Amino acid sequence: MTQSEGRPIVAEALVRRFGSIEAVRGIDLEVRSGEIFGFLGPNGAGKSTTVRMLTTLLKPTAGRARVAGYDVVADADAVRRSIGVALQDAAIDPLMTGRELLRLQAVLHGIPKEEGRHRGERLLETVGLTAAADRRVGTYSGGMRRRLDLALSLIHEPQVLFLDEPTTGLDPTSRAALWNEVRTLNREGGTTVFLTTQYMEEADRLAGRIAIIDDGRIVAEGTPAELKARVGEPALRVALPADADALAAEAALLQFGEPIPDAPGHVAVRLAGGASRVAAVARALEEAGVEVAGLELRTPNLDDVFLQATGHRLEGAENPSLEDAEAK
Amino acid sequence: MTALTQYAALGRRAVINTIRRPTAVVPSLLFPLLFLALSSAAFDRTTTIPGFPPVESFLQFVVATTVIQGALFGAVAAGADMATDIEDGFFERLLASPAPRGSILVGRVTGAAALGFFQGILYFAITILFGLTVEGGVVAVLLVAVTAATVAAGIGSIAVAFALRTGSAEAVQGAFPMLFAGLFVSSAFFPRDLMSGWFKTVATFNPMSHMIEGLRHQVIAGLSASRFLVALAVAGGIFLVGFTMAGRALAGRLAERA
Repeated sequence: MTQSEGRPIVAEALVRRFGSIEAVRGIDLEVRSGEIFGFLGPNGAGKSTTVRMLTTLLKPTAGRARVAGYDVVADADAVRRSIGVALQDAAIDPLMTGRELLRLQAVLHGIPKEEGRHRGERLLETVGLTAAADRRVGTYSGGMRRRLDLALSLIHEPQVLFLDEPTTGLDPTSRAALWNEVRTLNREGGTTVFLTTQYMEEADRLAGRIAIIDDGRIVAEGTPAELKARVGEPALRVALPADADALAAEAALLQFGEPIPDAPGHVAVRLAGGASRVAAVARALEEAGVEVAGLELRTPNLDDVFLQATGHRLEGAENPSLEDAEAK
Repeated sequence: MTALTQYAALGRRAVINTIRRPTAVVPSLLFPLLFLALSSAAFDRTTTIPGFPPVESFLQFVVATTVIQGALFGAVAAGADMATDIEDGFFERLLASPAPRGSILVGRVTGAAALGFFQGILYFAITILFGLTVEGGVVAVLLVAVTAATVAAGIGSIAVAFALRTGSAEAVQGAFPMLFAGLFVSSAFFPRDLMSGWFKTVATFNPMSHMIEGLRHQVIAGLSASRFLVALAVAGGIFLVGFTMAGRALAGRLAERA
């Protein structure tokens, strides 16, 4: 047992600078054995830089990290033997077939030929690519490539799996299929998964615990339920017609709770008392002479958590149609 | 044993990278053959000029050059493929594996050498069909192919070094026409005894001349160990220089991550 007391990933004051730019500004992390840990943040927040340090591809400027019980700088080889990595920007050779790539990956991990072949076939079946295994990867769809990438990262049965934005660019159906595979892998294999994502819904549905990163710093950490509970009451969002008096609307809403920054044409408030107060809000708006185009009551989500922690919304966090896709 | 298996697997991938990409393999394979066909037709009568070494045909005189020319083309593809790996991120995938860092380099260079060897055999097979006589027989064919493989490994290493420094496939492909200029200012296409002036001086100092002449001797006159060793020494020198450059370039690229 080389993992540090059930914590396969531990980072302490991890910093990475590129010249004068500080991409990661002192991150502390602890990931527990067997959990799916979500690392949520917008583009450029420092997610991929953190993953690259944890997977030994980049040396930290300061601080230290241990993965699978090994120091990422001093024992980089041991770390690489213990982890599986599916990087967002690591291509899969389009000229090779899925089966050839799995065999190559097995060889790179020092797995004996017959064992590598056996594991490769099993993984192809697991990710549903057996029929396409002898086709060149260049002919695969985006979803098939990501599934193959997942299989490649698992060939050596790693203790810890790093998935860097595994569903970016995928259609909702492929995304949902990949989520199911990650869940199954975690549930049945007990693999610890470190998942970076810019999609709040992905983090919400997959991860047992989440750290939210913004501008190189972790701004919130906890289970999805804990994080949302910190936000508190649901948000009531009022859509206004083009000629409506937004100031009058904001004034009318003030008595119902704390205002929330919103897009132009909308006013929002953290609704004290929850859904039971919606009718009172409607009456107050009417009495103030404010025309309303729509009302939406929204229970807190991770975007609200992000907003509360950083003062701005998570760009690109919208991820529509996933419920439909998951239901298929 | 594991490291050797890893080198072989990455070498195999390098070969696959080249042979499954028609834009890489067709020019590399066909251009030297086309040049061979044209020069054999155009310069055949030059073999009767006094001072020209005794040969059956210009084809026999120039075939060793064609083999080396093909090896050079194929080797440049090794560099371009490495740059593509860097651009696409496959290089990152290799770095994330526990395979030795050197295997990335050795695999790519092994692939270039294998292609250089088999391409050489293929050129001989085709030209023999068109009437070529190899005085040194099968052994001469193998000696020329082994030298071509060594040159391919050397030039492939230089191309890989360039790829590791620039990370750009276009830069690699743009830089290597100079290589072919180097081949032209040698005795690759004409005997040195019939040259004059500065061109003869340059060709005499050009190590390519001595390599090609050593290989040519096996084809037009028969086996000669001393001539072959000169050719192999030049090829080996290119390999040593190239591989050192590539090793340093890889170390430099890895150091950027520190």
